[in-house]
Order: sequence, then structure tokens, then C-alpha cells
Amino acid sequence: MTEGEVLHWIKELPLGAAVRESRWLFAMGETLHLIGLCFMVGGLLIVDLRLLGFIRRVPMRAAVAFLPFVIFGFLINLATGIEFFTTDPFMYWPNPAFRLKMLLILLAGLNAVMFTVMEHRRVLVPAGGKNMGAYVKLTAGLSLSLWLAVILLGRLLPAFEGSTRFF
Amino acid sequence: MELLAWLEQTDFSVWLRESDWGHPIMLCFHAVGMAIVVGIFFMYSARILGYARDFPPSAFDRLFSLAWFGFAVNAVSGVVLYFGEPRRLLATPAFWIKMILIVFAGLSLWALAKALHADTHDSVGLPGPDGALAGAAVVSRDARIAVICSVIFWLGAITVGRLIGYNIPPPPL
Repeated sequence: MTEGEVLHWIKELPLGAAVRESRWLFAMGETLHLIGLCFMVGGLLIVDLRLLGFIRRVPMRAAVAFLPFVIFGFLINLATGIEFFTTDPFMYWPNPAFRLKMLLILLAGLNAVMFTVMEHRRVLVPAGGKNMGAYVKLTAGLSLSLWLAVILLGRLLPAFEGSTRFF
Repeated sequence: MELLAWLEQTDFSVWLRESDWGHPIMLCFHAVGMAIVVGIFFMYSARILGYARDFPPSAFDRLFSLAWFGFAVNAVSGVVLYFGEPRRLLATPAFWIKMILIVFAGLSLWALAKALHADTHDSVGLPGPDGALAGAAVVSRDARIAVICSVIFWLGAITVGRLIGYNIPPPPL
């Protein structure tokens, strides 16, 4: 199947058609997308700021306990993101801001997976939980930076509607 | 009204409305500020309601500073966004409802602070350590009601804020 055929098939799915008919469904999707974003960023701020050493009085386990909020927020945004994409795949797919946003999300996921794997192989987090190594701080810094860029790109998507390049 | 009409024809207001980037850039600031202030507040609410009891509530002090920064970014970007459409926004019901919801969110936060102060201080008013919030203790019903109200008001503000774009009336003649 060609790229165009796949996109066309996605566009004809019932979900996309239903949301195109109803502005309300799209607006509610956008609202949920913003709420999911808040949960994600809130959880990420706690975990990453702890890893960076800004809130050292918090036990590491207690900070990491907020990770489920990150997953929860991400799942809401994944679902609403799929909702948006199905309404207009021909606009989103070639959009440079959309492509870069998806790439950065993948990189953020990779960053998280790598950290989890490394953390299980050897103890990155010392028992005292006070001073973090460089890799830990790099991971946390990358996490915050990548998701900040994702938010900005998401907000700028409409500005690149109809474009295939940034400049 | 003449002041607002005058405001609308200033170079800055025109630029914000008609340029390709003015409005999107201000909305970027607004989205990031929202993520910071509401994100931190949602996590704090979870803690107040008993989630992650090993997390010392006093550690939120530094996070609150960051949350205030987020709030300031939104207040400033909000004012700037307002300068783009001074008369149309005043005629948009969603705009007023959002402002009212933010005021109510602030009031519930004030009520929450009072309830928590009562929780962590003894009857003479001397501060304990994290006091009743540390470990496995449960916060008062007042605190829980205040935090839930606050969450509802913030969710409302986000929802109605998004609707401003949909509800805004056509430009005045």
C-alpha cells in the first residue's frame, strides 16, 4: 500500500469521521490532551527534579512513586493524539512540527527505557539517595528538555499546517 | 471602551493579532506555564489526599516556588494575549468564566492552607514538623474538601480556557 492509501484508510475510520462531524468531540479531546499534559509534566517535575538533586529531602522511592501519573497522563495524550490524527491524517503526516514532535517523544521514551535498564543492572541510586551521578542527571535533564520541546511543537502544529518544512 | 479601542489599534496589538507568530508564541508560554503550575498542583493534591505518604509535604516548598513562577508566566502571557483582543475577550463568556474559576481556585487554595495549618499546628499555634501530614496520618476533612474543590476549579479553568478560542465573537466593527 502506498503512503497515501494508508493515510486515506486511517481517515475513513469511524473515529475520525465522528470527530470531524462534531466540533465538541474535538474540543473535549483538546481539553483532555491539556489535562493529560499537566499530569505528565507534574509527575516528571517531581521525578526529574529529585534526580537532579533539587529536592534532596525526598526519599528516592517517594519521588519515583509519582511515575504512574506520568504514565497516566501519557496514555490520555496518546489516546487523544490518535483521535486528532484520525480526523486529518493528510495534514498531520507531512507536518514538520508533527514529525519532530513524534521523534522527540520516541527519544524521550528511549531515554526512559535506557535509564530503567541501567538502573536495574547496577545500583545507580546510592542508598543514601543524596548525590546523583552524571548519567542520572543527564537522563533527568534530557527528560525535561525533550518534553518541553514536545509541548512547544504541539502548540505550534497549526502554524505548520500545509507545510512540509520548517523554513 | 475608547481605551480598549485605542489599545486595539496600537502596533503591538495589531502585531499580536495579525502576525504569523505573535499569538502562537504567547500561547506556547501559556501552555508551559499551565503545565508547570497545574502539574505541580495536581501532584500536591495527590499527596494531600494520601498518595505517596513517604513524600514529605515540606519538600513541596521548593516546588511551590516553581509553581508560582509558572503562575506568573501565565499571568503575564495572559495579559499580553488579552492586549491582542481587548474588546472581543470582554464579550466572550468563556473568558469571564475562566477568570472567575481561577479566583475560586485561589480561594480554595487559601482555605486549604488554613485547614493544613490547623492540621500541623497544636492548639497553642506552635508549628510541629510536618506534623499530622507526616507518615501515615490523614489530613482533615476540610483540607480534603478544599483540595478537591481546587482541582475541580483548575480543571474547569483549563476546559473553559480552551473554549475561549471557540466562543470568541466576531471582531467589533
